Amino acid sequence: MTSFRKRTVQKPIRGTRTSPHTAQVITSSGNPSLDVVIGGGLPMGSICLIEEDRFMTHAKVLAKYFLAEGVISKQEIFLGSLDDIPAEMLRRLPKPLTELETEVEQRQEQGQEAGGLRIAWRYNDLPLVNTEHATAKIGHHFNLMEQMDSMMLYYANTTMWDDSQKDIVIAAEFSQDSSPTTPSLEQQPVEDAPPIPGEETAAEEKTPPQDENSANNNNNNNNSSSVTSSTKTGSQESQSQIFHNPRYGGLLNDIQQLLRDESFVAGTKKNLCRICLTSLGSPLWYDDHFGEDLIKFLTLLMASVRNCNSVCLITMPMHLIAKYDASLVPKIRQLVDYAIELESFAGSERETHPAFKEYSGLLHLHKMSALNTLAVHMPDTTDLAFKLRRKKFVIEKFHLPPELQESSAKPDNCISGLLSNSNATASLDF
Amino acid sequence: MATSVLLACGLNEQKLPGFVHISEESNVDGSFLISCILGQRLRISNAGTLLVCLQHHYQHYFNAGMRLGYNTNIFQGKTLGVIDVLSDMAGEGLASKWLRNSEGQTLTEQLVEDIRAQVESNYASRNSYTVLIDNLSILFNLGASKLQVQQFCQDLAALAKERENLTVITKLSNSDIYQLTDNNVAKLGQVRIQVLRLKSGVFREVDGKLLIERVLEEGNYACEETRKEVLYKVNDRNVKVFAPGEIGVKV
Repeated sequence: MTSFRKRTVQKPIRGTRTSPHTAQVITSSGNPSLDVVIGGGLPMGSICLIEEDRFMTHAKVLAKYFLAEGVISKQEIFLGSLDDIPAEMLRRLPKPLTELETEVEQRQEQGQEAGGLRIAWRYNDLPLVNTEHATAKIGHHFNLMEQMDSMMLYYANTTMWDDSQKDIVIAAEFSQDSSPTTPSLEQQPVEDAPPIPGEETAAEEKTPPQDENSANNNNNNNNSSSVTSSTKTGSQESQSQIFHNPRYGGLLNDIQQLLRDESFVAGTKKNLCRICLTSLGSPLWYDDHFGEDLIKFLTLLMASVRNCNSVCLITMPMHLIAKYDASLVPKIRQLVDYAIELESFAGSERETHPAFKEYSGLLHLHKMSALNTLAVHMPDTTDLAFKLRRKKFVIEKFHLPPELQESSAKPDNCISGLLSNSNATASLDF
Repeated sequence: MATSVLLACGLNEQKLPGFVHISEESNVDGSFLISCILGQRLRISNAGTLLVCLQHHYQHYFNAGMRLGYNTNIFQGKTLGVIDVLSDMAGEGLASKWLRNSEGQTLTEQLVEDIRAQVESNYASRNSYTVLIDNLSILFNLGASKLQVQQFCQDLAALAKERENLTVITKLSNSDIYQLTDNNVAKLGQVRIQVLRLKSGVFREVDGKLLIERVLEEGNYACEETRKEVLYKVNDRNVKVFAPGEIGVKV
């Protein structure tokens, strides 16, 4: 009898890797520069909150990156929203770049940077953000200008939720003659976008009896399923006891049913589920017990996400929630692992200010918590800014331009707060 | 590993005070304290520990423990008992017993009952017993009222008074929001540890500040209090503490 044992290395889940720093399994958020900021990627079982900018443009871009990464990595996707039409959002996912295209793009950027600085040229060697972890091979690059190939979406395992119950209730109330299986919003054809192949079959699958459980119905032709809250008649009673607003119960029930699939059981390393909830807590979710329900929902979501192979990205209009009840903001942030605020310059005086002309907005890291580890990764700097270019969304270290001739004569309130040593009356001298 | 922070808090002893409360300010993560205390209790021979997981799963404490140099799995079922509320809720979904008021019992009443049952079955065979509750604010999130949480803590404090070597350690997040409950719960015990953020902003070498308030036990008239302030930094495998002023900007 020998004590020799052959070492068996368990195959990692597609699109994940083990972080050398925290020994956690991480997956890409879809955006390489966001991955660098959060230490390589999102740890499995974590929830990332993106606090939306006022016009909701940039947060949606990050959500699309997150979803597109899941499609490319062949991971399961759950997309839920009341404000957006999930099917349309999926259609508009960015196109992935090939390795060659990525390389060409990176070379072009390096060329631009090399020709950029002529005086402080040594700064050319410094990375825009801390790129010590950026060499890891998870995550892809995407082109925001082009849309993902519909064949890729055809084979993606997607589950969509848009609370179609409201449509069915309205249909039942106001049009007794019409069919009870009124198609949900996500099944309505979008005029300017090409239809997802096989979507017709998804629509047909919704016509069978309503008691069929569609949340786990992922082995369809196009591997996509739409979930309506009305299909969960058995659990509606328990939902109403827990939440005042039945939408939370419906959404949570659908997520939990999906996560109960054996491929997402923690430790099995079969597959990963990406849950994306956009504009959660928007005015469409308001009712008399809005805060209570939202906090309870997030607590239960946190319990579910942490218990299996999944990651979650939520976008929330935090500026609206803060106006509804300011105490909700820290409570919500406490229930997520990453809280990232996108402060867009659009519509503010900073939009036209020369100091900020390079950027689209500031990125505030409100929370990064240590999940399944003791210490959390902290980026080199928390002064971060983002820019939405034509083809991609980039996060960089925030810096002011080297010479501010316009502001030298009259220092502005805008930048005086950002400059720690505000001897800004004289222009900077190299 | 974590000895320095426990020494600073006065918790690196075999016999702990009956009730210890940890207040955690918003945007500060104090869960490293729970991991540190857990490791210290598990290392004492024949000392029982009950971990009530409300904020993190048991798996988190296992992984954090491995970083601090102890393996909770070795002790689980022996000296370590776990009530993993989060896992129960994730597994059973909306039908979980913690979400339903079965037999007219509230969430806090059920939890007290479970804790009491664990203490009853394990206390007699252990030299000392510690109950660790990782976040009381989750009880609020799940619908418990201020009164219920206060009653829950008072029941636990009474449990600690009933038995000589029993310690209850609670933690409350967002203590600045739940200020009233936080102060009332802290009054039940002899030691209060406040985990505070740095008012001056984010600093690479320091994560935050610990303010330790301890009531001196002088017979029945326990009115004198000591206060100690230390800065802390949570590293990958240890927690370091510094006296205020010790760390400066390096030029």
